[in-house]
Amino acid sequence: MKTVIGPTQRQFLADLRSYLDGLDPELVAATRAENIEDPMQPRENGRRFLRRLAADGWLGVSWPTEYGGQGRTEIEHWLFAEELYSRRLPNGLLTLNVIGPTLMLMGSEAQKADYLPRIINGDQVFAIGYSEPDAGSDLASLRTRAVRDGDEYVVNGQKIWTTGGDVATHYWLAARTGRPEDKHRGVSLFIVPMDAPGISITPIITQGGERTTSVFLDDVRIPASQRIGEENEGWAAIVCALNFERMFFHNEPRWELEQLAGWADAQGLLEGETPQAYALQERMGEHAVDVEICRLFALRGAGMLAAGQVPRAEASANKIWWGELRQRICNTGLDLVGEDGTIATGSPYAPAGGHLEHGLQSSPVWRFGGGTNEIQLDIIANHGLGMPR
Amino acid sequence: MTAFTLSPEEAQVQATARAFLRDFVDNSYLNEQEESATGFEPLRWVRMRDLGWSSVHLPDRVGGADGSLVDAALITRECGRAAYASPLLQTLRAATTMSALGADKTYDDVLSRIGDGEIATLVAPPDRAVVADVAAGGFVLSGRPVVVEWLAQADWVVLVLPTVGQDCIGAVVPADFLGDRAVEVPSIDNERIVRLDLDGLELPEDVVRSTNVSATEAAYALARADLLRASAMVGGAQDVVERTAKYALERHQFGQPLGRFQAVRHHLARMVIAADGAQLLCDDALDRAQPGADETAIAQAAVFAAGRAYVDVVLTAAQVHGGVGTTVEHILHHHFRRAKAMQLRSGQRSARLRELHHALVVRKEGVEGSLW
Ligand SMILES: Cc1cc2nc3c(=O)[nH]c(=O)nc-3n(C[C@H](O)[C@H](O)[C@H](O)COP(=O)(O)OP(=O)(O)OC[C@H]3O[C@@H](n4cnc5c(N)ncnc54)[C@H](O)[C@@H]3O)c2cc1C
Repeated sequence: MKTVIGPTQRQFLADLRSYLDGLDPELVAATRAENIEDPMQPRENGRRFLRRLAADGWLGVSWPTEYGGQGRTEIEHWLFAEELYSRRLPNGLLTLNVIGPTLMLMGSEAQKADYLPRIINGDQVFAIGYSEPDAGSDLASLRTRAVRDGDEYVVNGQKIWTTGGDVATHYWLAARTGRPEDKHRGVSLFIVPMDAPGISITPIITQGGERTTSVFLDDVRIPASQRIGEENEGWAAIVCALNFERMFFHNEPRWELEQLAGWADAQGLLEGETPQAYALQERMGEHAVDVEICRLFALRGAGMLAAGQVPRAEASANKIWWGELRQRICNTGLDLVGEDGTIATGSPYAPAGGHLEHGLQSSPVWRFGGGTNEIQLDIIANHGLGMPR
Repeated sequence: MTAFTLSPEEAQVQATARAFLRDFVDNSYLNEQEESATGFEPLRWVRMRDLGWSSVHLPDRVGGADGSLVDAALITRECGRAAYASPLLQTLRAATTMSALGADKTYDDVLSRIGDGEIATLVAPPDRAVVADVAAGGFVLSGRPVVVEWLAQADWVVLVLPTVGQDCIGAVVPADFLGDRAVEVPSIDNERIVRLDLDGLELPEDVVRSTNVSATEAAYALARADLLRASAMVGGAQDVVERTAKYALERHQFGQPLGRFQAVRHHLARMVIAADGAQLLCDDALDRAQPGADETAIAQAAVFAAGRAYVDVVLTAAQVHGGVGTTVEHILHHHFRRAKAMQLRSGQRSARLRELHHALVVRKEGVEGSLW
């Protein structure tokens, strides 16, 4: 029996760790602070950081060498992403881990030649435009229309929840090219520069402080060469990208558990033979087991990718486990803190640096972002167990 | 869902075990054995010995097949899937413990007897219920009675007990040495158990084969033994998930299969997640089961996750099966009872979790082999 971590992977991890340990501390600290505040999009320092990694040849671990990558397996790629997450540093997020691999599988030769080198250089950042005000879980009902006009498409509509819309260079946009009643068979996928004429962006601030945006598209013209795959066949690219997205949840629950442990330790709550210490240790012990399982769900997916298989139900299981566990750790963590837990992030008196409070406020997103957990359970029933639709 | 990575040889072990058990184990058979005097068929035991199961992971020098802990775990996983009760798991656990404690061949004579087909059981109370103290000519035991599986059917009893200090001892005695200290009691599942009162028992020097075993070494030896049970629980959970999914396709209500109702689909998906998580952790622990405290902690985590998952899935399975899920006519009742019993055999949940806390959360960075 083999788990996916062997000597090659351990060596890779050791090399990566010493590389990261040697990076400019100012850059790391600035990036880290920005990332903790809002991990969903690399902003000024995050972009600087990613370009530094790119220049040193550390972006695109599993990308083929022909595209400037290291040509390693998805297992190392996942370890890379997780190590950065553990340090609360950006790992390339959706652009590198989702859009890049999807383009490699589904893009035209011209698109690959155009985009991949700039993604791996850290020059391009994508935002994802699937959701609309009336198309959430039922994405197939989306209404933003792309109408063919010669060599171009003319796009009109409204997107919501486009995270990173204000920092991205490019838009990964799903639009209807077929009839509404064709549902997912009438959808196409396009790449659009975020600054294309006709695009306007409005910020939305969530309770957890993450920034996302609404995007309005008003007669936006897109060359047909920027369509991924055939007309009306964009659904495959959406599904492919979502599977990558659900695989690229990392062991953030571990980070949250460390915050909780650090707080409890500093309070001296973990020591002694008191009922409170016992109760706390039990809760932490169970969370720790679940954090281990979190790692293994993700590694299973990476192992499958490395073996040329496509995780589907497995990606969904990974996503559910991750999101629910984070929410549970932050929630039970605050229960343990008690009324001090009402002191918000920003105050030096906020327990655990405010990370549990901040985490809990962000936590709803973890259970529906990337496709709600109810939809993931359906995917597991269908693809994992063969239940009828 | 997707299986873990077995080598071709391991896949063979698994397939052979599954085929052998499928040949005779079903609910009627399990009910019959549970009603029988011995609780299992001695003839099948001979057959299993001939297949090399009870010594699969023992070295060649004691008549074993030189296999790994994984091989043994694959066999217990198949027994778990079949809800098959026999002294096999305990024999494998006892043998594993002896080989881990006796790298210097201390237990080779008894291991050879196991290689010949004799039955063993393991007494290692998880909650420090029994303690050994040095006495003239050996050790004297004190503590409350403990529950032990298959002792009445065993030839050998292996004891791993903490001493009053920090160390542990390892001893092995012929079963009749314990005389009437073992009383057969009914079990909530189809395994056989005794209530064993060790208080005041004197263990002479010659039966105490390992003294001054460090707590770490003992924990490692027992973690290996417990992983075999974890693997059995993983097998049980997997079988329950598969059976329940099958049932959800066959059974119709309101003109459609149960598996089309979202409430049922979500129950099933949760069962998959629980069973998969337990399996991944168990396999990871088996892979990492090398001497060292770090791996011991992972093994203990696997035992906990397997017990929790097995219990969770049987509770939901009984729900999805409706009325038939609770009758003795259906094999699910064996899984239901075995899940809780096997989980409880690891002792108190709260105590195990506190140990896990100390091992996993308090563990400092830089531990050898740790990815943390
Ligand atoms: C901070 C943030 C960032 C985001 N980033 C992006 C992004 O970058 N790009 C993007 O495209 N989208 C993004 N999203 C959108 C996100 O993916 C959606 O919110 C999500 O898909 C859920 O859609 P909804 O909000 O419309 O909820 P709904 O689909 O209306 O669902 C509401 C509830 O009903 C349940 N439900 C709905 N249908 C079913 C069903 N058939 N069976 C069972 N239950 C059902 C859901 O599970 C959920 O619990 C983001 C959202 C947020 C808040």
